[in-house]
Formats: sequence, structure tokens, C-alpha cells
Amino acid sequence: MEETVGPSEMIVHLGPQHPMLPGPFRVNAKLRGETIVDSEVEIGYIHKGIEKILENKTYLQGITIVDRICYLEALTNEEAYVGCVEKLAGIEVPERAQYIRVIMEELSRIQSHILGMGEYASFIGFVSMFMYTIRDREDLMSVIDSVTGARITHSFLRFGGVKDDLPDGFKDDVKYVFGNLKKAIDQYEVLFSSDSIYKARTVGIGTLTADVAKDLGVSGPPLRATGVAFDIRRDEPYLVYNDLDFKVCTQKDGDVYARIQVRLDEMRESMYIVEQCLDQIPSGPLFPEGTAYGKRSPVMRIPAGEVFHRVEAPRGEMGFYMISDGSDKPYRVKIRGPVYPTLQALPPLLKGVTVADIVAIAGSMDTCTSEVDR
Amino acid sequence: MDANSIIASLSDKFPDEIYDTDIESNIRIVAKVKPENVVDVCRYLKDELSFGHLCCEFAADYPDRNGIEVIYVIGSYDHPVILTMKALLPRDKPEIESVVPVYWNANWYERETYDLFGVKYLNHPNLKPFIIPAEMIGEWPLRKDYKGFPNRTANNLV
Amino acid sequence: MDEVEQMDVEQTEVQNVGYDDVPGTILTDTNAISEFLKKTKVQDVLNWGRKNSLWFTVNAMGCCGVELLATGMAHYDTDRFGIIPRNSPRHADVLIISGYVTKKYLPALKRVWDQMPSPKWCICFGDCAISGGPFYESYSTHQNIDDIFPIDVFVPGCPPRCEALIQAFVELQKKIEEKKDKGTEY
Repeated sequence: MEETVGPSEMIVHLGPQHPMLPGPFRVNAKLRGETIVDSEVEIGYIHKGIEKILENKTYLQGITIVDRICYLEALTNEEAYVGCVEKLAGIEVPERAQYIRVIMEELSRIQSHILGMGEYASFIGFVSMFMYTIRDREDLMSVIDSVTGARITHSFLRFGGVKDDLPDGFKDDVKYVFGNLKKAIDQYEVLFSSDSIYKARTVGIGTLTADVAKDLGVSGPPLRATGVAFDIRRDEPYLVYNDLDFKVCTQKDGDVYARIQVRLDEMRESMYIVEQCLDQIPSGPLFPEGTAYGKRSPVMRIPAGEVFHRVEAPRGEMGFYMISDGSDKPYRVKIRGPVYPTLQALPPLLKGVTVADIVAIAGSMDTCTSEVDR
Repeated sequence: MDANSIIASLSDKFPDEIYDTDIESNIRIVAKVKPENVVDVCRYLKDELSFGHLCCEFAADYPDRNGIEVIYVIGSYDHPVILTMKALLPRDKPEIESVVPVYWNANWYERETYDLFGVKYLNHPNLKPFIIPAEMIGEWPLRKDYKGFPNRTANNLV
Repeated sequence: MDEVEQMDVEQTEVQNVGYDDVPGTILTDTNAISEFLKKTKVQDVLNWGRKNSLWFTVNAMGCCGVELLATGMAHYDTDRFGIIPRNSPRHADVLIISGYVTKKYLPALKRVWDQMPSPKWCICFGDCAISGGPFYESYSTHQNIDDIFPIDVFVPGCPPRCEALIQAFVELQKKIEEKKDKGTEY
């Protein structure tokens, strides 16, 4: 974007502390009247240099740091990191631990979608929806808390398995919470689709077509809302997703309304996956037999090599590229976050809309700025 | 489109520019490329072999080999194969051609690599300071000989 | 559009507040009546009013920012203590530093703090604000934030639970009642 202005234009900086933007980043918008002519996104306000910090910590210490990349989907970050190390060292995870990992990650996906939808609703002025979703999210957080011991940053996965088994009575707790949650999601769908003011603000705004979305590199729910069925749980399955039956949710329109609809459908699919897992879970050990993983914390030397492992996070495709040189600390770790290309695709979408629609479009992309900046 | 046919077709079209290819499994292949021909290879990958999704692009510092290696990880929306391409640059003058004309979302990845490593991208539309504050440009924090890491100014350090 | 004639507007002399690019910003720091009242019993009544309605700025910077939003909302209600989240810094009394402060963000945070009208208090929420947290080795975060802001309450934890933030507010209320806080200059 050029800094020069014409006769009736002005540049507005929506700065890092702004109550409407999801996360501290800055949008510089060039306006003519109230329509946007050109815009630019500036990031880097919460850059901590995680990739450099990880080069100075052992592999086991790295699990607590990797948790905090995107704090709303902490278990998915850990899964990508631990999966890389397991591929490099050739560790086989036993079946019960794989089922527990899938259950916890799908629960984490549900709570991330609920919070994302609630925050987006509060940006466009629908504050009651934010109150409802936070109240329903607290039940899920107490279920996750009873297994891992923490609400947000869990440090639950270990190389070769998980830290603790599921507690007694977990299945009944989950059934009770899901009973309330299914009624709540039906209620949200009715609230979203029957309000004419909400529809006037979201239908037809920020539209992406399938070719443009693939060109811009978007992934996750914004891509699935344009009709492309790209889901890593289906294309490159990891853990036990091969044995589970679920469908990839897509919509056709590609506007803000369709993205919210995709998230609502994905929450229902996740609940179905968790119920299947709770029926199919076998009993068995949590760590591979006859090895030292899980008994004490070994000083692990991982053999030299390079690997790229990717998982399906609630916000898109998340990947880790790890280069190891045979010692007990990694040589170089590259974190490929799901929101980085999605935020980069924001300026082309903002051409020709009014200022009040910036937050609607940015909120529907569900950005988590902490993992854009790392 | 499986791994063997992709490698065969790449080596046929670019016999001098691609060297040291390796097939690690049926969904992961690795190749090394000369830095001058990166844009042509990428254009062939995107148009003919349907590799349309740039996963990421970054750099790694190797002071013992006296070079900085730029790594491209390219995937596809149609088939599950992922190709890793590496280009080695000299450490005192790292310059390479930018692939923004081929992959639109390489824009921010290249700006970040310039901020953290000092790799200059020729013909990039917008190479300005991005993630680190403007006064830290020139220090290249992620190189192995950066002096300001680890930071020891915290008050209650053990 | 035609050219508009530029009229000369009289500018009053402003104090130097440390940055020169925001014209017309004046800090209110002298008030003789309020200095007199601080030594009398009327100050207890004023403190009672101030401590029972502390409004905070919504400034979610790091992982602890999620716990900040969750505390202000339905389940862990802070409204029963008179504490509500406000969007603009001009309406608020308390700044909660919830997360790491980087070198790029520090000028913006200082500007938010300067815009809040006095008396104002500051709470450090989370390990990263106290001394760097898990990122204490980083090259781009500020490790000791209490050299710059006058902090009243420190809340340790990574992240602290929502009940810990409510306890922090209760401690701040006790401090205001006993006249030991750093926000009012006694």
C-alpha cells in the first residue's frame, strides 16, 4: 500500500490495542469516504522468538514451550511436535494412548470453535451470544481439567504415549456434558439463521471462491466453506483416524455466513468422533512395552535427520519441520502455523467494503495472533 | 501421481539443475536445486505436476558448511505427496530469486526469512522490516553466531 | 475538491510529556483541594467509593488474556464486585498486564497507560509479566516490567486460574482501604 493520499482520501491505523480486533495486530487502511481502497496488515507485536528458544532446550523441555504457540488449541501443537520426534526416533505409540490423544484433541477442537464463534459474535455487536458460549464452554473446560490437570496449557503428551490415563466416570461426565451441548448448538443455529439483521451483515460479505482461496494459500474452515474438501485427517491420516467414520463438512458460498456454518457442523462431527472413540477404546499400556519411555525422563538423543509432520488444527493445517543433528537439543525447528497464510489473505478481501465490516471479516477468519507472530 | 513418477519427470525435464534426489516414503520426496533456477522449477511444479500449495519456506544456518540453506516445502491439494527442495547459498552473500510470481503466499515467508537470517530476495515486491522491531534489523537473530541470546537480564534468575 | 484556506489557530504552550508527536496532551497532576483532602477523614469515603468500582481495560496480550476474558464473563463473574471490562482506556482505572511485553509493543502500552486518568492502578497477571516466564531467554521480550510501571499486585501462575484474578482484585481493594497503594500519591 502506498503512503501517498489523493484529494479526498485518508489513512486510518487500527492499532494494536483495539477492543474489536482479535489479537494485537495493526491494520492500516486507506479510505475514500467510508469505503476501503487499499489496506495492509502489520504484525510482530507479540513476537517472542520461540524457534530460537527451542534450540536451547532439550526435547522434553520443549513440550511445555510448544504448548504456548497457539494457546486456544494447545494439544494440537503438542501433537505436531511429539509426532515429529516419534517419526525421527521410530517410536510406536500403543493403541490406548492413540485413542486418548484423539479424544482430547477433539474436545479441544470443540472448545476452540465455541470460543471463536462467541468472540466473533461479540465483535459484530451480538454480545448475548458471547455470554451463552462462554457459559457452555466452562463445562467442557472442567472435563478437560479433570484429565490433564490444567485449563489452557496442558503439557499432557509425552514421547510414546500420554502422561495419565482417563479417570473413572469419564464416560458418564462426557455423556452429560454432550447432552447439554447438543441442545445448545441447535439453539445457536436457530439464533444465527433466523435473525435478519445478522444475515444482512454477513451474507455476501468477504466472499472467496475456490480458485482464489487455493491461490492465496488458505486452509481450514475458510477453505472448506468454498467447497474444497481438504482435510488432513482424511488425506494423510495420523493416529487412529483411519478407523473412524466422519465426514468432511463443506459449504458452497464462501462468505462469512458459510464459515460460521462450517464451524457449527464441525462441532457436531467432533462430538460423534468422541462417542465412537469411547465405545471402541481398548485397554492396554500407555507406553511401548519394554522401553524406558514413561518410567523416568531419559536424556534422549534423537538420531540425525529431517522430518515434516502436519496435523489438522481447528484453524487449518499446522506443521512442524524439525532438523536434528544427533544431540539432545534440536538444531532447527520451523513452525508452520495455520493462520499465517489466512491473515495474509485479508487485504485482498477488504477492497471495497466499509470500515464496519473489517471486524466481521477478520473475526470470521478466526485469527489467533500469538501463532502468527510466534 | 506417485512419488517415483514425480521424481522421474522432474529429473527428465531439469537434468542439470536438480541433483541429489531421495525418496523417503511414498509420500515424502527430497531434491536439491541450484539457486539460479528456482523460479523455473517452481513454475513447472505448479503447472504440470499440480503442486499448487506452498506449505512453508524458511532457512537454516550451517556455519560448518559455510552456507545458509533455503528450504521450500511444497504440497498439493490433489495428491498427498510433499516435495522438499533445498538450495544452498554462500554465507557472506546470501541472495536468491523470489518465488512470489508463482506462489502468492510466499510473500510473508520471504519477508520473515529476511528479517531473521539476512537472505536477500531479488525482485520481491515489499521487502521491509516485518516481525522484529525496526532497530533490530541487521543483527539477524536466528543465525548461530548471534550474541544477544540467551538473555540473562531477568531479576530472579537462578 | 477545492483548496481550503488554512487558518492560523492559536496553540497554547504544552508541557513536554516525553513524546513529541501527540500535540495537546497534558497530564493532570496538580490539584490543591485534593492534596488537602488527602489528610482528612473524607479520604476514607473517597477510597470506599473507588475500591468498590474498579473498571479495567480489555488488553488481552498473551495466553493469560483468555483467562482475563473468561473471568469477566458469566461463570466467574466479577460484576458482583463492581468490576467490569471497558474498551477504552479513558474509562478505566486498572490496567492488567496479561502476558509478555515485547520491545515493539512497549511504546503502545506506555501510551495506553498515559491515557488513563489518575488515580490508576496496575496488576501484573501471569509469570511472563513478572519476570519473563517460560520465555526468559528470548531476545525480543522485556523481562522486568516493574522497572517501568508502578505495580501493586503480582499474580503468579502460568496461567493463573480465574479465581486468582478475583483474589488479586480483593487484595487491591484491601490496599486501597489501608492507603498503601501506589496509585494515589499520598
